[in-house]
Amino acid sequence: MNVAGPVRSRQSSHTTSSYDAKNKRADGGSSSSSGVDMYLDVPSFELSLDEFEEFALARLKVLRKIEEMKARNLLPDLYRSQLDAAIKSNLRSNDRIDVASHFILRAAYCRNEDLRRWFLTQECHLFRHRLESLSSRGPGNRGSGNGNGNNHDELRDFLIRNDFDLDRVSAIEKERLRDKLLCVPGTNPVEFNVTEYYRVPFVQALELVGRRECHVSDGNAYVPLARIVSIVAAKFRSSLSRSLASAGVMFRQVVSRDEKTRIGPLLTSMNSQYTGPGGGGTGTAYGIDGEGTLTAANVDDMAARSMPLCMKQLHRGLQRDHKLKHQGRLQYGLFLKGAGMTLEEHTLYFQREFTRIMTGEQFNKQYAYSIRHTHGKEGKRASYTPYNCTRIILGNPPQSGAEHHGCPFRHYDDASLSALLGQLKIGNTVDRDAIMAHKRDGNFQLACSRHFEAVHPGAIALEGVSLDGVGNHPNAWFSASVSYYNAKSKKGGGAMTDGGGMTVVKAEEGV
Amino acid sequence: MGAPDDEYDNDEECEFAEEVSSTPSAVVKSCNNDAYCARRDAPMSSSKSSSVDPSSSSSVVFSPELLGVYYSRLFPYDLLYSWLSYDPSSIVVNNGKVVTPSKASSSSSSSSSPSSSLTFPRREFSMTIEPSPGQEVYIRYQSFTSRDELCSAVTRRRPTKIDIGAVFNHPPKDNKSLPSGRLQTVERELVFDIDLTDYDAVRNCGCGGADICKKCWTYMGMAMEVIDAGLRLDFGFVHVAWFYSGRRGVHCWVCDDGARKLSNEARSAVASYFEVGYTSRPASASISRYLGMHCVPLFPSFRAHHVNLGSDKNKGMHLSSPLHPALSRAHEILEPHFVDRVLPEDGHGLLATRASWTKLLLTLPKAAHPVASKLEERWRSTKDRSTPREKWIELKSELASFVGGGPARGGGGPAKAPKNMSSIDRTRIEMWPVETVFQQTYPRLDINVSKMQNHLLKSPFCVHPKTGRVCVPIDSNDFATFDPFAVPTLARLIRELDEYEAKSGDGDAGVVHDWQKTSLRGPFECFQKKFLVPLLNDERRALKEERERRAAVIGDF
Repeated sequence: MNVAGPVRSRQSSHTTSSYDAKNKRADGGSSSSSGVDMYLDVPSFELSLDEFEEFALARLKVLRKIEEMKARNLLPDLYRSQLDAAIKSNLRSNDRIDVASHFILRAAYCRNEDLRRWFLTQECHLFRHRLESLSSRGPGNRGSGNGNGNNHDELRDFLIRNDFDLDRVSAIEKERLRDKLLCVPGTNPVEFNVTEYYRVPFVQALELVGRRECHVSDGNAYVPLARIVSIVAAKFRSSLSRSLASAGVMFRQVVSRDEKTRIGPLLTSMNSQYTGPGGGGTGTAYGIDGEGTLTAANVDDMAARSMPLCMKQLHRGLQRDHKLKHQGRLQYGLFLKGAGMTLEEHTLYFQREFTRIMTGEQFNKQYAYSIRHTHGKEGKRASYTPYNCTRIILGNPPQSGAEHHGCPFRHYDDASLSALLGQLKIGNTVDRDAIMAHKRDGNFQLACSRHFEAVHPGAIALEGVSLDGVGNHPNAWFSASVSYYNAKSKKGGGAMTDGGGMTVVKAEEGV
Repeated sequence: MGAPDDEYDNDEECEFAEEVSSTPSAVVKSCNNDAYCARRDAPMSSSKSSSVDPSSSSSVVFSPELLGVYYSRLFPYDLLYSWLSYDPSSIVVNNGKVVTPSKASSSSSSSSSPSSSLTFPRREFSMTIEPSPGQEVYIRYQSFTSRDELCSAVTRRRPTKIDIGAVFNHPPKDNKSLPSGRLQTVERELVFDIDLTDYDAVRNCGCGGADICKKCWTYMGMAMEVIDAGLRLDFGFVHVAWFYSGRRGVHCWVCDDGARKLSNEARSAVASYFEVGYTSRPASASISRYLGMHCVPLFPSFRAHHVNLGSDKNKGMHLSSPLHPALSRAHEILEPHFVDRVLPEDGHGLLATRASWTKLLLTLPKAAHPVASKLEERWRSTKDRSTPREKWIELKSELASFVGGGPARGGGGPAKAPKNMSSIDRTRIEMWPVETVFQQTYPRLDINVSKMQNHLLKSPFCVHPKTGRVCVPIDSNDFATFDPFAVPTLARLIRELDEYEAKSGDGDAGVVHDWQKTSLRGPFECFQKKFLVPLLNDERRALKEERERRAAVIGDF
């Protein structure tokens, strides 16, 4: 349904809509700092094709900025000011740009799981930032008297506009409820007098109700302002997530039927606009040249030479235990598929390992189906995308011993990772220390890129080696490594001794 | 119906009069197949054909034949139908007197106008039947278009148990013909299940598992009081019905429109709102070692092991201080019961004997060791004549003065807390009395029952096959006094029915239903008056408002 938004926008001839009216009221003119929007209504105004693209790219800049800042773990103040600046320079040039660009990107990023996840994450950060700036000048900075009434009214307006059924609790009632409100865990008695409370139907504050973190009376939850933000943000996330999922279903129909030549190409290429990372590539884009290059016969060599640490661990786990747990089969299997291993080779490879500890019949019964499923030959025949780093890092950590999936940089403790690096003889001590430092700082993807540099010296200087996505996607890591060795063998293993410094720069951009 | 029935011989009647305690050995009698078939053919006949072989087991409270009579004559189909259809027209209030349309008239009206807006035809029922003794068959996704259809299916199948599920978007009996995934739940009462088996750790009356006694039943009364108050005061629900589950627990059905439409997520939230976890006392094996000892090394190295109330979540959680308002209220409700029914000898004896109070004192936080030693010594003395209630008050005030420095009751001078006691220890000691009350008495919910719209729960008015007792409604004024052992058994009901009819025939005014001739009359009429009528009045009001709103929109009054 939301796909239809921007697409339809160019066909309708009227610019008026209830949306515009609402938005004007909310923003109260272009100077408004808030611009918080749940994006529940699809806009219907006209855009030129140039604007269409321009707006979308403007928002993309902001979202990528957010991703980058989050990866760098900026201090909250710095994060806020930089994000404000990015919003100001990109999303303020025009009344319509914010809402239009949101819906355009929504359409462009609904196509697959990775894109949706990426878009959802960044949009939620953006939303939360705006909502917080709407409310933060409230209780926190009360020093300057009562000058913050406007902000609260703005927040209130926003909440009413978006059907948050809430009342501000009057001073008298708040006093009457003082004892009860103060007994709620997490309430700060010092700030109680300056805390605004709102009354919402309890079904809108389920998280808080379930954890007994608000006072509940007569079907209403009494929630302090600061907690309202989390309620609203949760609602935004779930509604956007739902919309993206349903848009994803419709995308193919709409774009291939009605917009094949006009908007379709714009949308499908949107995520790869602007070189550099962040768009969340699709797995197949990273496949190595030529189907079937990765086979059951060469997988052992390739794993040792060209796989990122997470896949290497899965490979070693399979070699050692002759089986993989479910999560591991998914992560590794999809990676193999993305790396060009055919269904036949995949089955052959797993059969070879699994049948060391079970009969062929058992293997066929229990595991062959899921391999065919991975390749879209069973069940709903979906084409599953190989997991990217975000998904692996955010996924369930492996249970020690039996499970080998996950990201070693994220899920292993310092000692085990350090031992592993040593055991695999990855780089020299300088490299290993740098990797461990990244790991300790929580920069798992940087650690992974560093691993790549350590084992592919001079990669940046080689022709035909693309380091895009190394540290963002295991398949990118793999294909970069494969092309590295191809290029090197062409050059006959020529002088590839320097260039390490350059690589660092490039790879860090890649995160 | 029928002439006075004297086919029960005397010797069996005596047995019926006896209160049969719930034992797992209650007999599910093997039925005579011919009689069974005969019953199927003539389900509405009088209880005559149910008279069973008198030589059978003497303590029969339940048998397929008795069940057949119950379903054909006593089961309150009207109440169940009026309730689950939420149809105000299914009940008539006449000058404050409740009249359910009689069987004859309701059958024609209910079957002729099954409006599509009614939820009853889309309600899932499931039945457990026993085609032959010991063999259980479970049938899911049954649904019925009318009261009569339900009635005839139940009398024909004679289920040992009926479960009620959710209202679906399609009649669930069409389950097989619908594409998979099409059948979805639409609404469902918010339900709670509390079971005494979850209280085994705090039942000091000797009961365990499915056994219950009056002592441990007191926990159920407390649980109902706490949950009922929370549902009404905190969540604003009005139509809350409680039922005895037939053996060792209670069920709660919240039937407000808003409650029926709650999402699974909301149900989970409400359920966890009521859920409390805590750290338990040490296992009794480790305690016994100290019982005979002089009191000094009270706390060597016992490891408190964690249990929890209700589910496996929140392991080892302590109550936060200050107490959440809902928990404060629960504490106010529970503590008097705790003092009256848990502490004394005739309760669970928590402070009644030296062994038990030593055991309780062992659960005090380590930092309160001096208080424990002091009280242990004082209570051990032969001069001490304090009652369990006095001991509890003394213990609480000793603890308060220990951490707060106030004057302690009683002689010997208060034990003083070291100045450098950490604030964590201080809080733990302050919260200990509250946590003890909670640990002993706070409701333990089986929250998985509450979480999902499509979880089945046993229908009220069923008969528990092991005890023969009817799942009767429990009035909210009777939480503390409800006596599961006074709930009529099948056998007793049939006897009452026969006695009534022997005495006054069939023509008594005001008696419409056969159940009014038995001791089911009290609880059923109370359910009707205090739950069903207000519920349907609310439905009627909502319907009227909806009609007016629609009329206003189209300008047609």
